[in-house]
Amino acid sequence: MNPSTALAAVVLVTAATVLVAVYGLRLSRTTSDFYVASRTVKPWWNASAIGGEYLSAASFLGVAGLIVVSGQDALWFPIGYTAGYLMLLLFVAAPLRRSGAYTLPDFAEARLGSMTPRQVTSGLVVVVGWLYIVPQLHGAALTLGITTGLPGWLGAVLVMVIVCVTVLAGGMRSITFVQAFQYWLKLLALAVPAVFLLLHLGLAGESATAGGRAFERGPGTGLGIYGTISLIVALLFGTLGLPHVLVRFYTNPDGPSARRTTVIVLGLLSLFYLFPTMLGVLGRTFTPELAASGNADATILLLPGRIVGGTAGDVLSALVIGGAFAAFLSTTSGLVVSLAGVISQGLFKGTVRGFRISTVAACAVPLLLAVGTSSFALAGAIGSVFAFTASTICPLLLLGIWWRRLTAAGAVAGMVAGAVACGGALVAAGLPLGLPSGVVQLLEQPAAWTVPLAFLTMVVVSRAGRPAAHVGAVMARLHAPEARMPGPEGPSRSRP
Amino acid sequence: MSRPARPERVRVTAPADARVPRTGRGAADPSGDFYVRSLIRSQLRLALSVAIGFLLLLVGLAVLVAAWPQIHDIRLLTVPLPWLVLGIGVYPIILLGAFVYNRAAARNEERYRDLADPGGS
Repeated sequence: MNPSTALAAVVLVTAATVLVAVYGLRLSRTTSDFYVASRTVKPWWNASAIGGEYLSAASFLGVAGLIVVSGQDALWFPIGYTAGYLMLLLFVAAPLRRSGAYTLPDFAEARLGSMTPRQVTSGLVVVVGWLYIVPQLHGAALTLGITTGLPGWLGAVLVMVIVCVTVLAGGMRSITFVQAFQYWLKLLALAVPAVFLLLHLGLAGESATAGGRAFERGPGTGLGIYGTISLIVALLFGTLGLPHVLVRFYTNPDGPSARRTTVIVLGLLSLFYLFPTMLGVLGRTFTPELAASGNADATILLLPGRIVGGTAGDVLSALVIGGAFAAFLSTTSGLVVSLAGVISQGLFKGTVRGFRISTVAACAVPLLLAVGTSSFALAGAIGSVFAFTASTICPLLLLGIWWRRLTAAGAVAGMVAGAVACGGALVAAGLPLGLPSGVVQLLEQPAAWTVPLAFLTMVVVSRAGRPAAHVGAVMARLHAPEARMPGPEGPSRSRP
Repeated sequence: MSRPARPERVRVTAPADARVPRTGRGAADPSGDFYVRSLIRSQLRLALSVAIGFLLLLVGLAVLVAAWPQIHDIRLLTVPLPWLVLGIGVYPIILLGAFVYNRAAARNEERYRDLADPGGS
């Protein structure tokens, strides 16, 4: 494709992001505006914003890439990414909103009445956030490298610098509108090319599936039944613990609207994932050679040029590239904001200067990690992060919300056990230890045993101790519904 | 036209009224605690039934596809049945589960309100 068109798309999206951040900062100037926003955001906007922040490089590029490489097994990834929000709706959405916690460490402290679980949760959130940002930067490097021929690390640096500057300026913090816009941009950036390419093929009388040969199994062995189930567990329960998800729920005024928002999010995600799946199938037909090249995540970027070519192909490619950068920017900035908040609360008592130092730290570490490591399959890398959160933060949330007898000691023991087991397994799977393939699979997809292990540890250790004295009040706060209509305006907000 | 003075910077923390008034007397007195406990039990039972039903469905699909390879020969417009089910068919089921849960959870809360706070406030 044409490198200058690609570059123009990247510049356009990044410039738009910076501009909106600067103007949004002007619009949401006063602190009271910020608070009012938390009340007036409608579930539709909020749901679009959650979708915009959630759909990362792994969804935008990774799903189609994985379909090209592993075919039918890859379809479990979008199912898991979506159904994770079903679990969030069932077990977490309303109680977490009612807890009033703004970050996961806040929740741990409020529920367990102790600082140790707070600090452990903070540490985990930071690790998860960093590991989640790295694939976004790999995606940026891949996209810039493949479409413009520039060195890939420039893409990673570009995304990180833009995010760091806008977050430092305070621009991306509360702008639900920007994140909501990003969802619809990402949807269009995949839906328009997908529909256009299918129409083009239909008119040309070409088969989009090579007469069904696109669905044949490749030479690979695939995930197998254990791997599939372990992956489902990781994706379903990992979503609960993602740090950038919780903050977004806070903008719902109450528990029922948190639930309504989540139902809409499920609809938006279901709609979105149709298109990476369609494009992945087209990729199996028209760019099958990418499966072996290690660049399968570039499938969506290369398809328009391969099928249509010419100016139409360039325009469609530019659209896809713009959407991809929107994905890297929105997810990364959401994560950086959450991380900077957690770091600055933990180390700097939440001062403005502390927030700035924390922002730089939240940006610098994953950038170094991303530039220092080579890219791997995006969807797979994100899958490992989900396994890690499912083994650590998910049991804290589920037992904290639903089980009175959870103690601070139990929560800490369970999180540490899950972190050591899951983290150790993932690291060991990457080392050339020469283990039998059955063991390697247990290590590569650890969620099926590390998640129960973390739950079990929490329960056993908690049983040995006594729950905090205030647990009855906390449980009532989490679960008792809001009083019937406290007046048409809602409760007054006298103090900013 | 003079520009308005830039407002002083204020640290944003939890909103002052993060504690929205709640129904019932909470855990402070024994009957309030009883109602909260029974609300939590019914909400948990509801969430678990939807979650377990959905998990069984997913695992069932995974086992079906792995154990019965001939299912790939059932095709619609060249697309094999497992691709249609996993790529499209699962999503409406997720949405249906979400709708059903949402209504039932709101009903549980309504029942709690009627018990814990009969007059309404």
